[in-house]
Amino acid sequence: MSFFPKLLIALVAIFPLIAIAEEVGERWGTAERERKYYRLVDLPIPKNIVIEAGAFCDLPDGRIAVGTRHGEVYFITGTDAANPEPKYQLFATGLDEIFGLAWKDKVLFVTHSAELTKVSDTNNDGTADRYDVVSDAWGYGTYHEYAFGSKFDPKGNMFVALGLSSSYHSQELFRGWVFKVTPEGKSIPYASGVRSPGGIGFNEHGAVFYIESQGPWNSACSLKFVKENGFMGHPISYNWYKYAPNMGAAPVEPKTGSSTLTESINIPQLDPYAVVFPYIRMGRSISGFVIDKTGGKFGPFENQIFLGDYTQSIILRATTEQVNGVWQGACYPFREELSTGLLNVHFTPQGRLISGGTNRGWPVRGLKPYALERLEWTGVTPFEIKRITINSTGFNIDFTKPLDPKTASLPENYRVNSFTYPYHQGYGGPVIEATDAKVTQVAIAKDGLSAKITLDKITQGHIHEFNLAPILDRDGETLVHNFAFYTVNEIPK
Amino acid sequence: MVACFGLIAANLHAAPIIPGLEHKNPLTESQKGKVLIEELRCTSCHEGMSKPNAAGPDLREVGSRIQPDFLKKFIQDPAAHDPGTAMPDVFGERSAEEQEKIATELSAYLLSLKNEPAKPDALPKDKEAEGKKLFHEVGCVACHSPQDDNPDAKALTGHVNLAHVSKKYHSTGLADFLHEPLKVRSDGRMPDMRLSRSESELLAAFMIGSETATAKAETHSPATIAAGKKAFTEMSCNACHKVDSSPKPPLIPAKAKLNLNAGCLSLTPGKAPNYQLSDVQRKAIRAALTEKPKNPTPAEAINLRLTQLNCISCHQRDDFGGVKPALDSYFHSTEEALGNHARIPPELTLVGAKLQPGWLHKVLHEGETVRPYMITRMPQFGNAALDGLTQLLGEVDKLPPIEFKPPEKESKTQMDNAAHQLLGDQGLNCIACHNYNGKESPSMKGLDLMTSYQRLQPAWFDQFLKNPTKLRPGIIMPSFWPEGKAVQTEILGGDADEQIRALWHQFSLGRSARDPSGLRAENPELSVTDQTRTYRGRSTVAGYRGIAIGFPGGMNYAFDAQNGALTAIWPGKFITVGWRGQGSGNFTPASPAIQLAQDVAFLTKLPEAWPLRPIRTKEAPVNPDPTYPSQHGYAFQGYSIGEKGAPTLRYRCEEVAIEDTSIAASKNNTLNRTLTFTSTKAISIYFRVLSGTIESVSESSFKIPKLQLNLRKSNAKFSNIVRTAGSNQELILKLDLPAGTSKLSLDYVILP
Repeated sequence: MSFFPKLLIALVAIFPLIAIAEEVGERWGTAERERKYYRLVDLPIPKNIVIEAGAFCDLPDGRIAVGTRHGEVYFITGTDAANPEPKYQLFATGLDEIFGLAWKDKVLFVTHSAELTKVSDTNNDGTADRYDVVSDAWGYGTYHEYAFGSKFDPKGNMFVALGLSSSYHSQELFRGWVFKVTPEGKSIPYASGVRSPGGIGFNEHGAVFYIESQGPWNSACSLKFVKENGFMGHPISYNWYKYAPNMGAAPVEPKTGSSTLTESINIPQLDPYAVVFPYIRMGRSISGFVIDKTGGKFGPFENQIFLGDYTQSIILRATTEQVNGVWQGACYPFREELSTGLLNVHFTPQGRLISGGTNRGWPVRGLKPYALERLEWTGVTPFEIKRITINSTGFNIDFTKPLDPKTASLPENYRVNSFTYPYHQGYGGPVIEATDAKVTQVAIAKDGLSAKITLDKITQGHIHEFNLAPILDRDGETLVHNFAFYTVNEIPK
Repeated sequence: MVACFGLIAANLHAAPIIPGLEHKNPLTESQKGKVLIEELRCTSCHEGMSKPNAAGPDLREVGSRIQPDFLKKFIQDPAAHDPGTAMPDVFGERSAEEQEKIATELSAYLLSLKNEPAKPDALPKDKEAEGKKLFHEVGCVACHSPQDDNPDAKALTGHVNLAHVSKKYHSTGLADFLHEPLKVRSDGRMPDMRLSRSESELLAAFMIGSETATAKAETHSPATIAAGKKAFTEMSCNACHKVDSSPKPPLIPAKAKLNLNAGCLSLTPGKAPNYQLSDVQRKAIRAALTEKPKNPTPAEAINLRLTQLNCISCHQRDDFGGVKPALDSYFHSTEEALGNHARIPPELTLVGAKLQPGWLHKVLHEGETVRPYMITRMPQFGNAALDGLTQLLGEVDKLPPIEFKPPEKESKTQMDNAAHQLLGDQGLNCIACHNYNGKESPSMKGLDLMTSYQRLQPAWFDQFLKNPTKLRPGIIMPSFWPEGKAVQTEILGGDADEQIRALWHQFSLGRSARDPSGLRAENPELSVTDQTRTYRGRSTVAGYRGIAIGFPGGMNYAFDAQNGALTAIWPGKFITVGWRGQGSGNFTPASPAIQLAQDVAFLTKLPEAWPLRPIRTKEAPVNPDPTYPSQHGYAFQGYSIGEKGAPTLRYRCEEVAIEDTSIAASKNNTLNRTLTFTSTKAISIYFRVLSGTIESVSESSFKIPKLQLNLRKSNAKFSNIVRTAGSNQELILKLDLPAGTSKLSLDYVILP
């Protein structure tokens, strides 16, 4: 704690408004520059329908299915038109808070609060007429017990993440667990310890990940690797181990006030959280995520993770890597000023990023009660931190444009500090153990697109913050977003 | 002969029309000249004047829009076929034959650029009235003459001519253009009116009829096309129009001493392009050219831009612009009671100090709007036309800045409560005229107050609340803090600044702000029309995995999919659904319902006590029997939608598959339920049909309060058991199912 005041001063210097300000957090203030590279286009929704989008998926014919909090599924045409006027065809109704859609063999798999349901149109009239339960292996007894579904993995498995009861308790069967649902329809308990998931899917390397919200045992939102038989950090759901014999005995109880790094040594089922998103500065309620597999249509961030945030109506980026067998990675600001609280994001066939959601129920910066918006790359490459990876003595920082050798070769222009959060029972948590690191050496790649920096120390278990404000590209431009955060769980041996 | 034609032309042809210059604008003569120089694209050919001009229309796909015949005639004599056009006559002193030849070649070349044949003309028929309505209400009349019988409007001058449009366009070509005008004219002088595709078609149909005979394009020889391509560059058409990547012609060097009576400015331009300039226009251009070149001040730059784009035809700023009296009747609102400010676009006086720059950008560049009641639309002019305007307005428009300090921790609750009271019907009742946080006002639906924080700058907000008509003259918004004194003296001690600060903070909360009193809305009702409706959600009558089914004619029931039981029946209205707050989708019968047991209904063995569903309580909140009722053999499997939407519910009791279909009997007090059982072997199962105070009417008929149950028929043998269960009774049917399929039908009759 002794470092805390120092960090506070540092923070106030960079973000003078952060301590005061509105409840949803201040803006990055980068919207004006972001617009030049990523244009925001509204996808109008007819007056007589409500689309609080919770899930999207592609259909084989190029349409996009959207599932809503009202429990309806619409098939949308025309999302990529220059002046979009999408057509919405109502496919299915009567589901309950949809947070997962996947399509396989002419059937739509819908994850909603009550079940994972196969929805099909057996008479081909364009409207669903058959609803088959694939899994209802979990209890459902408070409204907050949302269920989030992934797409299929290559073997045809789907993963379902189940939120806690009222987001604090586990009062119904398997609340706070992740299930694997096999192609044969078997529901297998897969992991425990989830709190309030916002989405589940695969990272850019195909591993199962979910996004967790800040709260008890989670001082900030984080992307976590969902390990088979794993424990995701919140022990309230231990009471269901006796119903999951495949998972063995419940793990050791974590010690409150410790760190995920320390506890992961005591509790083999626990991995330290892979990518931690510093609270408020990088989202407050991160939701659905998707990988950019557009082949460059969306700009220079191919194969990276894009995530929406509910409270701040922003979109973030993340990248992951496995070091010494443990997942970790970085998060980066991407685009602000979306119009509603984002619940999910999805790439269109033309490589634009659709986002949707609602501002109902929780504080949200965006003013629209619901909206569908399309983010499209203007074709102009922004100067951004593309990706940060770790090496044994420091980090490799990739950029989207060649660096100005003068500003980029000065070690003092790379400001790195690190901090962590407590792993504890309380809701959220303060920044602790703030410390400065010194960049001792910089080596710029021949093509000018990356810098290898050497640090005087890397602190294991810390989130490393990079501030690269002084660095310019060859056109003399500053970074659109000059900061990023890397969570160091392991240092390469 | 040629001279003579020129003379006649000079008399017949209208001078170019720049609408903003003919409206009440703030420009000096030389500034008007500057606008003309830019709008007529003088800098496309001349060096050393002003900034590079905006691009002329993109002609790469001109053949898909414009009738070939018109294109040729227009090239030959623009102003004769589109009076008021900014396109000059470039044929100068050439002979009529030569003009004809070059125009043929140029149009042949332009038409050859787009090989795609014109799309078949298919516009909505018999909808001219709808198109006409659109034309007159969305804002077209701000720049174009109204197309109705209004004599005042007919007399208006300075409006862009549309008489040629029916000869110029293919009908779908016009619809395409209206839908995305900036694609062809990136300069935004015909702005994007945010018309939907179908609106564009309606408007096109109104302007040129639903069908236009598309004249078959003459086929031209490659030689003619090649000659046209050559002429296009030689005559410097590419100075303004983009057709390919060929470089623009070199600029005409600026002369040390200008001859202001020669070239384009001459009465007889000769070889120079002829713009048909009026004397007034020539004078203005000469004034601009003789003035010592200097950059306009930011305030002047704003005036120039607002005039150039004709923003001033709808918006007043300071003492210029505003809707012309003859056009006033074309501006409408769906909320007439909110007065002129709900139908006339807002004044732009001090707009740079009023709106947050980010919001101004959203309005200008992204079509953002907060006045859904205003029927006239804010056009989108595109980035080229608006570049830098947001910054200029921010620079010029200033109010003494103020800052609203966020409430101190200890006074936060007090501030929140104060704002909540001020806004509601027990306070200033702001919500009587304003929507709030996405919810409609119970009376007048003025703009959503919650947008204030995102849209407005604090100083403007403060001054506006204290004196609304000073910043928005004539607005019907009352002053609740006249001369800075609060009308409401109870709240926050009647401190005006504190009250306004509390409101500002409240608006910063967005969705997390409480609804003021008076705003509360009823849950929406779902109604059943001609199809049976199936709705899933939580309900006190059917548990968390509840399903409500409503039939046309007013009979409804609910099924608890968690426990496998038909749990409620009600005649009358279907359900209301909660769509507010975090939890949502919960349903409640919209008419009084008869509640039945919510416990598992089928078992293969009859226990001494029927297994009842677990109840969670506040004291014991964890489900005490979390695998109920699957440990009793029940599994829900789904449902299929059948004829007229009626669902068949599917579930299992151990190895017995059950299909459960109910329909409303023609008499609206009865539900016919048919249960179909499929089993691979003969088996007995137990069906708990009713519980409560049961009265046996006959062997096959039983009553509970308000409901009679009649067992109709079965091809399985069944026997009744009525037994006591605690303080209640329960009716259990023992069904001896054969191998294969068997059925049981029963009626639920609602008693008067």
